Amino acid sequence: MAKEYLVALFPRTRRVMINGQYMGITNTKLELESGPYEVTLGPPDNFTPEKHDIDLRDTASLKPRVVVFEVAS
Amino acid sequence: MRKYYKFWRVFLASTLILFTGCAHYIVNEQSREFDSESGYRFDAIDPGPHNSDSLFVCLMFSGGGTRAAALSYGIMEALRDTVIVVDGQEKRLLDEVDCISSVSGGSFTAAYYGLFRDRLFEDFRVRFLERDIQGSLAGRLFNPVNWIRLASPYFSRIDMAAEFYNSDIFDAATFESLQGEERPFVILNATNLGANRRFDFTQEYFDALGSRLDLYQVSRAVAASSAFPYLLTPISLKNYPVAEGYTPPWWYEKALTTEDWITERYNAAKNLKVYLDKENRYIHLMDGGLSDNIGARGILDALDRGFIRTRINQGAIEHLVLIVVNARTQSEDQISRKEKPPGFFTVAEKTATVAMDNYSYDSVTELREALYRRVQTQKNDQACVALLSEYCPEAPKPILFPVDIDPYVIEINFEAADQIPGEDPRYYLDLPTSFKLSKEQVAKLIAIGPKLLQTSPQYQCLLEVLAAKEEGRPRPEACPIGAGIFP
Repeated sequence: MAKEYLVALFPRTRRVMINGQYMGITNTKLELESGPYEVTLGPPDNFTPEKHDIDLRDTASLKPRVVVFEVAS
Repeated sequence: MRKYYKFWRVFLASTLILFTGCAHYIVNEQSREFDSESGYRFDAIDPGPHNSDSLFVCLMFSGGGTRAAALSYGIMEALRDTVIVVDGQEKRLLDEVDCISSVSGGSFTAAYYGLFRDRLFEDFRVRFLERDIQGSLAGRLFNPVNWIRLASPYFSRIDMAAEFYNSDIFDAATFESLQGEERPFVILNATNLGANRRFDFTQEYFDALGSRLDLYQVSRAVAASSAFPYLLTPISLKNYPVAEGYTPPWWYEKALTTEDWITERYNAAKNLKVYLDKENRYIHLMDGGLSDNIGARGILDALDRGFIRTRINQGAIEHLVLIVVNARTQSEDQISRKEKPPGFFTVAEKTATVAMDNYSYDSVTELREALYRRVQTQKNDQACVALLSEYCPEAPKPILFPVDIDPYVIEINFEAADQIPGEDPRYYLDLPTSFKLSKEQVAKLIAIGPKLLQTSPQYQCLLEVLAAKEEGRPRPEACPIGAGIFP
């Protein structure tokens, strides 16, 4: 089955949670099935936004869907 | 005298009613509390001291009665006898096996190893492979006590078979015993007759049934996996309300959007929904071969959205090795040599087997292609990085996978016997599908397994790559990444 590609950017290395499941780490490319997902990061809870609701489709390995988290002030 | 006969008639009638009323299949227990981190699920199983995630090995054991059980046993012997070195630790390749997905005859070998580990090599031949299992089942069928039990609508031939497997093969073990063992995680596959879909005996499915798998007998799962249509009857499970605090698997959420109806994720969610629909109060299971005669679909699911996918994305898996032990047979094509069209029985047999054989072929092809696509993607990424470095060094580089995986799909089947001196594939391809083979047939099946494995170029590449890595040598030129799929 065709796969889609996702990258969660964050200035630090942190766990990436997909629908609450530990799926990989920030700043690396993840390979997932297409469809809607909730993307967030693992603890500590010092990032913003709290989550990204995405519909993962129409990506390519060299053009993954990128979601950006920043350090919360 | 008349009074005496009357007494016996009443006594016999009462006994019949009593026994018939009492005979009921074992009902799976309800689960009251949901715990996503316990129960028989991959992530809850201890890997064990000799098992690494970097070398991740899954086996698939096909259906095919004793023929399949013996071939898979031969492969287990070969893996036991293959010594490898991973991260400086010498071990048997068998110790690196992480999961086994099995169907029908293959489920006997898988479950026995899952429960009893190296005892498989001590007594499985005598207890199962060389035994006339069909004869033992038939013997029970001719026991008058069982006639009374079989008169109950809630007790059938499959329950009798499961009792036999439970007492004579699996030592009354439940899934709690499997849970207490280290990897491999054993996925016993059956077919849900109501939904026409694959069902596996893992806690994820039992969570949806609101039921506890740990208390369920392994023998009943194996019986369901090998309940050959017509000869045996379905194994039934009760579908309870889900336990308190139940949450479906991570991939289920929002998976049932109409827009995605053509995706595998949607299909998997629809499959799970069958059990979450409590109008479906009972689940009736038969031979896993009806929905997947290779055991490949459980591994494909794990690769798409299960424990293999999460480990790939986490960068834990470096070498992914999938060994398909396919005991399929193929009679010589006599149909195409005759002018007269085939008769009723030939057509009936073909109707039952053609679709399944093609589906099995497609399942293995899908595994190969999914992993080869990953290899191509990795190559594209590397090529892009190299081109940018050469022609545009200031440009930002693409973001890469955490680890490039090195996949292997090793298929063992009898056709490959023609590459082994002194072996005739026809001997194996003409063996019957039954639970009764001669000792000689069993011995030949066990012996051919390791030879077939050694013949596989993908397997040879795996051993060479592991040895080179451990000795600090460059990867062998003859085995680039991808050669484990298409050499």
